[in-house]
This record gives sequence, C-alpha cells and structure tokens, in this order.
Amino acid sequence: MAKFIFGASIAAALSIASWSGPVTAQGTLRVALGTTLTQLDPALTTIGDEYVYVHLLFNGLSKINPDMTVSPDLAESWTASEDLKTWTFKLRSGVKFHHGKTLDADDVIATIQRILDPKTGSRARTNLSMVESVDAVDPLTVRFKLSVSYAGFADIFADRQTRIVPKDRIDELSKTPVGTGPFVFKSWSPGDRLELTKNPDYFNKGLPKLDAVTLRIIPESAARLAALESGAIDILWSMPYESVDKVKANPNLRADSVATPTWDGVILNNAIPPFNDVRVRKALALTVDKAAIVELALFGQGDPTFSPIPPSHPYFNKKLKFNPPNIEQAKKLLAEAGYPNGFDVAMQVPQEREQRVRVGVAVRDMAKAAGIRIEVQRVPFASYTANVAGKAPMYVDGYFARPTVDTAVYPFYHSGGSWNNQLWLYKEKRVDELLDAARKTNDDKLRAELFGTFQELVEETVPSIIAYSAAHVNGVSKKVEGFRSTPMQWLELAPVSIKP
Amino acid sequence: MTAFIVRRLAFVVLVLTAVSMLVFTITSLLPANVAYLILGSFAPPEQVKALELKLGLTDPIWQQYIRWATGFLSGDLGESPLLKRPIAPMLWEAVSRSLMLTGFSFVLIALIGIGLGLLAALRHGRTLDHGISVATYLGIAVPEFFWSIIVIIVFASWLGWLPASGYEPMSEGVWVWFKHLIAPTMTLVFGHLAHVSRLTRSSMIEVMQSPYVNAARAKGLPERVVVMRHALRNALLPTITVLALDFGRLMGGIVVVETVFAYPGLGRLVVFSIQNRDLPTLQAAILVVAAIYAFANLIADLLYAWLNPKIRFGVHVN
Repeated sequence: MAKFIFGASIAAALSIASWSGPVTAQGTLRVALGTTLTQLDPALTTIGDEYVYVHLLFNGLSKINPDMTVSPDLAESWTASEDLKTWTFKLRSGVKFHHGKTLDADDVIATIQRILDPKTGSRARTNLSMVESVDAVDPLTVRFKLSVSYAGFADIFADRQTRIVPKDRIDELSKTPVGTGPFVFKSWSPGDRLELTKNPDYFNKGLPKLDAVTLRIIPESAARLAALESGAIDILWSMPYESVDKVKANPNLRADSVATPTWDGVILNNAIPPFNDVRVRKALALTVDKAAIVELALFGQGDPTFSPIPPSHPYFNKKLKFNPPNIEQAKKLLAEAGYPNGFDVAMQVPQEREQRVRVGVAVRDMAKAAGIRIEVQRVPFASYTANVAGKAPMYVDGYFARPTVDTAVYPFYHSGGSWNNQLWLYKEKRVDELLDAARKTNDDKLRAELFGTFQELVEETVPSIIAYSAAHVNGVSKKVEGFRSTPMQWLELAPVSIKP
Repeated sequence: MTAFIVRRLAFVVLVLTAVSMLVFTITSLLPANVAYLILGSFAPPEQVKALELKLGLTDPIWQQYIRWATGFLSGDLGESPLLKRPIAPMLWEAVSRSLMLTGFSFVLIALIGIGLGLLAALRHGRTLDHGISVATYLGIAVPEFFWSIIVIIVFASWLGWLPASGYEPMSEGVWVWFKHLIAPTMTLVFGHLAHVSRLTRSSMIEVMQSPYVNAARAKGLPERVVVMRHALRNALLPTITVLALDFGRLMGGIVVVETVFAYPGLGRLVVFSIQNRDLPTLQAAILVVAAIYAFANLIADLLYAWLNPKIRFGVHVN
C-alpha cells in the first residue's frame, strides 16, 4: 500500500508539473527542425532547415506565391527590354532593415556582387552567371545587363541565397544576421534553438501577427513527433510521411500537405553501358509502375511525374499518360539491344535517406520481371559526390524544389547544364533547342507549349526515371491559425497567429 | 600516499598528451580541412590553397600540433570555422550541461545499483534476485537509443508528464530545468545499472560467506548491523572501481542520449562537429571527453588506494 501511495504521489507531482510547464510568451510560435543550421548567412545556406530560417529573416526582390507564380517583394515592379537582356527593377521605398538602415539600390548591388564573387562560395552563383553588370540608375532603381536573353530572370530573386542583405552589415551576417523580413534575429544557440522576434517595422503593414518565433533543433524524428503531440512545439516542419496518419488521428493536430516540385528518381548514366543505349533505358522504364512507387516510398504522399515539372504546375503536360508496365515490350527491347537474357547491374542508394532507399528497392523488384537484375548497395550519402555521381551506371537520388521551371530543368537536361554533367550526361539536340527557346520568350503560353513538348521528349528518350513529385507535409497544432504549407517548403509565418 | 598521488597524476598528464596527439593526427588525416570548411564547398580550389597557406595547414604536422597545443594550454581553443564563434565558451556551456546530466545519472546509478545488488545478494537465488538480474541485463543489453525512444513515447506522448526533448536553463524556473533532465537521466541510469548491481551482488554473496561475517553473527550482532557495517563496506571495494569506469561509459552514453533528446550538451557538440567536419571543435571536445575519463579513473584509483592500503603500498599478498 505504501508503495502504491508513493507511486501515485510521484504521478500526481509529475502531472501537476506538466500544467505549469515552460511559460511561453503569448504569441510565440515554436517550430521543430531536424538538422542544426550551420550557416546564418543567406548566401551560403545549403539545406532545407536553413532555408526556413532565411525565409523568416530576409526578402528577395521577388517572391514565390503558393501557386508557384512569382510576384514583386522588395522590388515594386520590373521591366525587361525587348531582347530580354536588360532588366530594370524599381525598389519599394521606405523599407527598413532590422538595424534601422533604409533599403536602397546599393544594398541590392552589394548583395548580387557578393554572390557573383567566386570567393564568397555561394551556391547561387551559377544561377546568376548570365549577369554581365549591375548598376544603380537612381537610389531606388537597379539595372541588370545580361549576357544572354533570359525570360525568367526576375524569378531567380525569389530564391533562398539571393535574398537582399544590407551593404554595411555583410561581414556580420554569420553572427548577427540583419534582413528586412517579418522576424528579427534574437539569439542562436547552435544545435539547440534559434530565437526570433517580431519586426515591428515590417513593410507589409499589420504583419507579422506573432510576437516571436522559436526554431528548435530536434534531430530524432520520434522526439520531434512526441514534442508536437505533447504540445511542446506548434509546427513540426517537413514531417516523415509514415507519421501522417498518426497526426491526422490526433484531435489536437492536423497534417498540412502540399504538392511540391521536389523529386526523387533513378539516375541512369547515359554515357556508359548498359544505359548508353536508349532501348535499355526504355526497357527499364517499361517495368516501372510510378503510382506503386508513390505508395511504397511516400505512403501515398505525392504524385507520379515525367520530369522535375510537378503535376501541380501549369506547365505540366496533361495530355501525356502514365503507361502501365509492359514486361513483354521491355524484354523485346532488351533483346534488340543485345541482352536477350537480361543483365546484372549495381544500384547505389543513400543509406540515410529511407525514402530513396525504398524507391531503389521498389525499382529493383519491378525490373526483375524483365530480367534486369539490380543489386541494391547502401552507401553513405556523403560519398555520393566523390564516388557515385557521374560515375556509377545507376543510383537513386533526388532534388529539392527550384524556384522556377527553368532552374529546375535547364541545368539538368541541357547538354551544357551543370547538373546534367554530374548526373546522367544526357545529350539530346531537340531538348537543347526547346530549353534555349523557352529562355528567349516572355510569352507564357508559348513557354507552356515548349515545356509540354520537352516532357514528351523526356518520356521518349528516358534520360533517367523521375519517379514522383513528393508532397511536403507539416504537422500543425490546431492552436495555430492562418498557416498553409508552401511548395518551396519554407514556412510562411507572417500571417500566422496562435490561440492561447 | 603523496608519492602515489603524484605518480598517478603524472600518468594522467601522459595519457592526455598521447590522446591529444592521436586526436590531432587522426583529424588531420581526414579529407576535409579547415580552409575548405571556412570557404564552403563551392569555393574555387585556388582560394582554398591560398587560405591553407595563410592558416599554416601546409606546415609539417608536428609544427601544427605544437601551435595547437600551446594555444590549448593557454586557454585559447580557437574559433569554430563553421559557426564563426570562439570554441571555448561554446564548449564549456555544453560541458556544464552534460555534467548536470551525467552527475545526476551517476549518483542514481551508484545508489540504485548498490541497493539492487544488495537486495539481490540477500535474496540470493530467489525470485527477487532473478527479477533484478533480468531487469538490469535488459537495461544494458538493449541499446540506449531504443530506451530513449520508449521513454519519449511513454512519458511525453502517452502520459504527457515530461517534455519530449530539449533543455531549459535554470532561469526558466528550477522545476522546468529539472523536468528536462528526468527523461534523459532515466535512460542513462537504466542502461548502466547492470555493472554496479551485478558486482555488488557477487562480492556481497562472497563476503557474506566469509568467516568474519560468521564471527560477527556468532557475536550476536543484529543482521542489519552485520550486513551494513561489516559486509557491505568490504563488498563495495570492487564496486567503486566499476563506478568510475561507468562514469567514462556515461560519456559515451550521452552522445546517443543527447542526440535523441535534443539535449544541447557535449555529446551533441561531438556529433555536430563530426557531421559537419568542424575539426577544431571536434579536437577540443574529444580532448575534454578524454580528460573527464582520465580524471574519473584517477579518482577511482585514489579512492581504492585510500580504502585498501595494500594497493597504496604495493604490498603483494602470497
């Protein structure tokens, strides 16, 4: 009996304690991220968790809306010359940085020149490589001269690394970052949490509604989920798909899902045997059931696609159909290509990315029917750049959403594209022509047509197998109001409020 | 005794020097160097070369080591090239948080472990003895990350009594601070009970059968006095050594437990610096872990010598 009373009193003490848990200020939203940030300087960020932070502190000249269209942000408007080589941006007036300085053309120029300087080492440098010069027409007007015609130029400024930073604080960005965004940097404790407070001078009047935002780093996914369930956090950023049903079943939580251009697929090396033969690539594609891969790898949280253009995008080719697997046809093509008895091939999968491992295993099992015997090898993701990319005949990889269709497609499929030469080494003249033409036109209808034909060509020539566009799912407490997940996977928190 | 202490201390210094050389050499052999880290993976190679020269990374390794070691001794641990902040304050903060965790765990391991061992010895061969054996073996046999997740699911998700993860400073309230320590401490304690309880049990059983215990009983002393005053004191000698070793093992345990519980201590710092190849931080953190380990062993040696003069004077028993 004494033991029972003792146990019960511990239980009581603990449960009383749980009501008087950490007292957070009214209107503080707590978000859980999985990986610790290594960079606070927006130009140098490289991972999704860092982009979440960048989006809360900084603005670009343009911004991406939830429907993937682009509209002005720090720029009020922009115009392009007839040949799409001269672009003039008019800046919003009276925008204040967090340290009080007013935004002007020199800040934009300093930001861009810094990214273009190879010494900075920014990942965004290649996206801006067509910039020949940038100068100020007046304090609120910036003019870019480009070396090539580039229709999507304004869209690039919505990207993460190209956010505008103040000229006089560039050296301190990695310690005390200063931007124009809805939230102001307060403190950063590496591996633990990043604290942000409301920007009272934010140029979008009436926003943000929250007083503060805390980004907490919780590496273990079970602990992140438990923190959401126990109310210690309000938003679980990019939750694992296998937990979606559990969150949906909880009356206090909801799973907020959105289609994204983030994709995974089987990368085939088009330059070396056996996949240098288009018949072999086609044969493999004929064995693959993309709808089944979505179920197996994503637990249904995504959609099959042909290329990095997701089904949710206006440029997606709706006339094309996903053909069911055709093993007879696949065997025939293999025989024609000189593999009547099939062949053996190794496929690397990144061992830390469970979802991509599942894609690899699913494709292995599907390809077996046609005699393509794949040996799945789990390797560390960190070894990809050194040993796998561009060298192995086939492996599983995937890429995060890019801000525009051009940046998602051109570097990957144009024969001179930077990613193409690292991934599948695909050379197709008709695709080169289409992608170049799309860069030179400002006519949206024509571009949709060009990218539609591009998707047909990709289905016909199979550079690789893009399996799906993955959904982005956030676990959200029902106390949070006004939150919507976005396709770029960063968090739009300015319009969000929280019920006490 | 003084000579003994001096000898042991000199040995600790020797061990730490050897560890520091080893750590420095191994980390220098890794493919990523500091210049590469400062400039980021998209930097041009000429730029990396220039910075390597400037930072002296092209000097012979022994020169680099001496530079690093002298800096370390004068308290200058350098700056983390990744986080762009001095390592020392970051490291001490992490160490103090980890010491809270390991300190609590250590005290509980000692008390509960010895208590369970004693109970098992007195109920030798009966159900309670077997029960304790099974429970403590389960704790040590199943890895910590598993228990961590079980603790999180049970106490945070289901019962909602404890926070799922994280750390709050004492300034947020003593109870809030303490509450964040309970779950990781529980996991660490459960995983480390077996050594202490098993050893206490076996030496206690042995001692209880020795002639002097029989003599004490024959004198008519109450059983409680026989057990606590005569038997346990002697039985605890080996336990003390194993406790010190456990303190070292706890240093390994925190790497896992702090990661799962998102507890920003030394273990997380080590994992972070390995994952991101932040070599200066890694070197400093590993050296601190080695120092804690070495001092825990030193204390065990000294305690043992103090309790058992045979060790102190190097007397051999034939």
